[in-house]
Amino acid sequence: MGFRSYLFKRLFYAVLVLFVILTFNFILFRVMPGDPEKMIIDPNFTVEAKQELRRQYGLDDPIMTQYFNYMKSLLRFDMGLSFNTRRPVWSELKERLPNTLILFVVTFISTATVGISLGVYAAANRGRYAERFVVGAGLFAHAVPGFFIQLLLLLVLGYYWPILPIHGTMSAPPPDGGFALFLDRVWHLILPAGSNVVIGFGSWALYTRNTMLEALSQDYIVTARAKGLQRGEILYHHALRSVLPPIVTLIFMSLPGAVSGAVITESIFSWHGVGRYLLDATLQMDYPAAQGAFYLIALSVIISNLLADIAYGLVDPRIRVGAGGQR
Amino acid sequence: MRANPKTAQKLEAARAAASSAPRPLTFWEQYRRKPQGMVGLGIVLVYVLVAVFAPVIAPYDPMNDLYLADSIAAPAWFANVFSKYRGLPPTIRLSLGHEDWEVEKSEAISIVPLEHGDKDGIEIFMPATAAPDAETDTSEEKPTSLWTSTFKWSPFGADDDSKESTDSSSPEKTGRSSLDKAVFQHVLNYEYKKPQTFSTKLNYTIDAPADAETSIMLELITPSGKTFDLWDTTARGSVEDGSGLVDARDLDLKLRLGISFFDEPTDVVFAEKGDYTIRMTFDAKSPNGPVTIKLRPVEFGVLGMVHGLLGVDHMGSDIWSQLVYGTRIALAIGLSAAFIAVVIGTSVGMIAGYLGGMVDEVLMRVVDVLLAVPTMPILIVLGALFGKSVFNVVILLALFSWMGIARIVRSQTLSLKERTFVEAAKASGASSGYIMLSHILPNTMPLIFANLVLRIPSAILTEASLSFLGLGDPRVPTWGRILQNSRQFGGFTKLAWWWLLPPGLALTFLSLAFVFIGNSVNEILNPRYRERS
Repeated sequence: MGFRSYLFKRLFYAVLVLFVILTFNFILFRVMPGDPEKMIIDPNFTVEAKQELRRQYGLDDPIMTQYFNYMKSLLRFDMGLSFNTRRPVWSELKERLPNTLILFVVTFISTATVGISLGVYAAANRGRYAERFVVGAGLFAHAVPGFFIQLLLLLVLGYYWPILPIHGTMSAPPPDGGFALFLDRVWHLILPAGSNVVIGFGSWALYTRNTMLEALSQDYIVTARAKGLQRGEILYHHALRSVLPPIVTLIFMSLPGAVSGAVITESIFSWHGVGRYLLDATLQMDYPAAQGAFYLIALSVIISNLLADIAYGLVDPRIRVGAGGQR
Repeated sequence: MRANPKTAQKLEAARAAASSAPRPLTFWEQYRRKPQGMVGLGIVLVYVLVAVFAPVIAPYDPMNDLYLADSIAAPAWFANVFSKYRGLPPTIRLSLGHEDWEVEKSEAISIVPLEHGDKDGIEIFMPATAAPDAETDTSEEKPTSLWTSTFKWSPFGADDDSKESTDSSSPEKTGRSSLDKAVFQHVLNYEYKKPQTFSTKLNYTIDAPADAETSIMLELITPSGKTFDLWDTTARGSVEDGSGLVDARDLDLKLRLGISFFDEPTDVVFAEKGDYTIRMTFDAKSPNGPVTIKLRPVEFGVLGMVHGLLGVDHMGSDIWSQLVYGTRIALAIGLSAAFIAVVIGTSVGMIAGYLGGMVDEVLMRVVDVLLAVPTMPILIVLGALFGKSVFNVVILLALFSWMGIARIVRSQTLSLKERTFVEAAKASGASSGYIMLSHILPNTMPLIFANLVLRIPSAILTEASLSFLGLGDPRVPTWGRILQNSRQFGGFTKLAWWWLLPPGLALTFLSLAFVFIGNSVNEILNPRYRERS
């Protein structure tokens, strides 16, 4: 199995998963309590008006026609109108998407940076207190429920010592001027992104430390040491270089989880993003909105899964060279 | 053949020697030597004990005992530790029955206890007055507040005073004279700072001739001697089940005390420390027959600003009890969700691995697809759609968490089915089902067990996050719900860390304990893991 066929297979799976999720989405929002027509159609409407509405929403079509229309419109990001705001769901999502992406990217880069550096640091200080501390802190941060850490940080930094904003993506009203606005947004970003770093650095640090230690026990490291190379050189030139591929894979592999976790972060910090939109829409039984948000999140998870698979394929010699092997 | 006792002894000794000879340690013997694992097990044991003995440990019903103290009251022990909370009142609930009152009355009036529940009420008997028409003593009678009869708000659903005829401007009946009054007093020692609120509730029945006029008045006398008229009523004729309710949050009381809407009655009434006197005055003018007043025990309460071990939440419900009962729910959800997930995962993995071919292909593709589905969003959507109940949450958690186990069990099955004992069983004609159940399953058991242990905390944490997001069962006290309440109902603005920390720490220690156990189990089951750490 060469890399290309591997890639095609993964792509096929991505499309399959998308198809399954879309179908699931379609069925789900038709079997659930309180079907869409009852939400839209006012009981005071005349019979003609009701029929006209049903026709407009395509509720009279055979179920397969509805299904195809639904597929077509979702693929074009036509998600219908929100029950609550009567605005197109996609334009509402478009407003929120940048916020989610900003939070996501910042969180991700800082978590990976902090986690990987701590992991390397721990591996370099094997057997000392520094290593034990990093490992302990990492395990602890890994075990503590994430939303609890976030709530705690919010309570301490937002309420006890109110130095950071407690909710939102920017001040209301937003400050004038590009730079002031930028600073304001950064200021609002610190708590959500920072708390995510606290939650997430543990697994990164532990993983990096473990792979580093494994690399350091390899023969070529012994050789390098026997040659009389500096400790730093061995660490950063030889060991780190060999553990980068699995870490890069990990970066991509943790993408889907990070997308999923955004819902909780956004709802705790009242972040004006897609995850919170999904939660609000679901709790308010705003079905088109919930469906649209879920579709968007699922799509991004599928895409990040695909990226992870590609990255995995690129670094795994068995797949790259084409020796086959089960995933 | 009878065995020689000596040989028997020797055999015995040999057997003992054989058993003391190095033999593979059992799982438990290995586990016992892991301090981390034992700590984890100890913590879990504590949780289990708390869950089992929840009714004994928790003093209150976590969901139904409301208004135990003022909203978001701090823990009672704070009063001894932090100066900010020193002197705050605990909840005071008095039920004043027959023996609690100090009575001042004239000879003619007789008072007897009235059977009522645990505590006796009072029955006051006032004989009829001789009716000298001349004396109409209106100065005795307090003008009744108009507000009493028209704007009474009864937050506890007490029946309103529809039968009370407090219309003081109605034409006076002639021929009545005042009896001597009966005055009841109860002294309440109050040595705390002022409370946020207090309330009084009384129920009475008056049995009197139609033209009798009976008045009841409730006053509070502060230590410095100021008298506040909290409530009064004047009834004509008989009254069945009359009730009076005084609440410091009530507008009626504010008007009566002459303070503005935004002032607190407690600022005026409960500003001092010392002996307060609750005074009730009964008076009747009845020319044509005796008046009997039946008074149930009078309830007087100050909602505490400190309460219990962990304070109360926004509804005045005991947080400690919620926490204790939350342990039950958490363990039950974690165990059952993990168990179902392991059962599904094991069956799928074993069937896919053993049967192979198309079955394997299809099942593993299902696993792939399910693994690619974003868990949290789908749990949110499904949780909201299928109704918020513990059962649904358990099922959903299980349905979206068995895939990893299926993969592991499948690969284990793949290697097991090549082993000779399976071949032998196959050769002797055992069916696939039999081989799976009695050869493959027992050999995957340790693996399954390790995965069960590892799944429990993640199920508990996921349930907690769902509850926290407002998708939990509203009828059940879960830790996630306590956290959600503290976030939603003012725990943060009031800096009520005692509301936020306990459920969070409970979750943390439980999941930490399972991580410890999981690590130790892994070290025993996977030798590779042992080398590394």
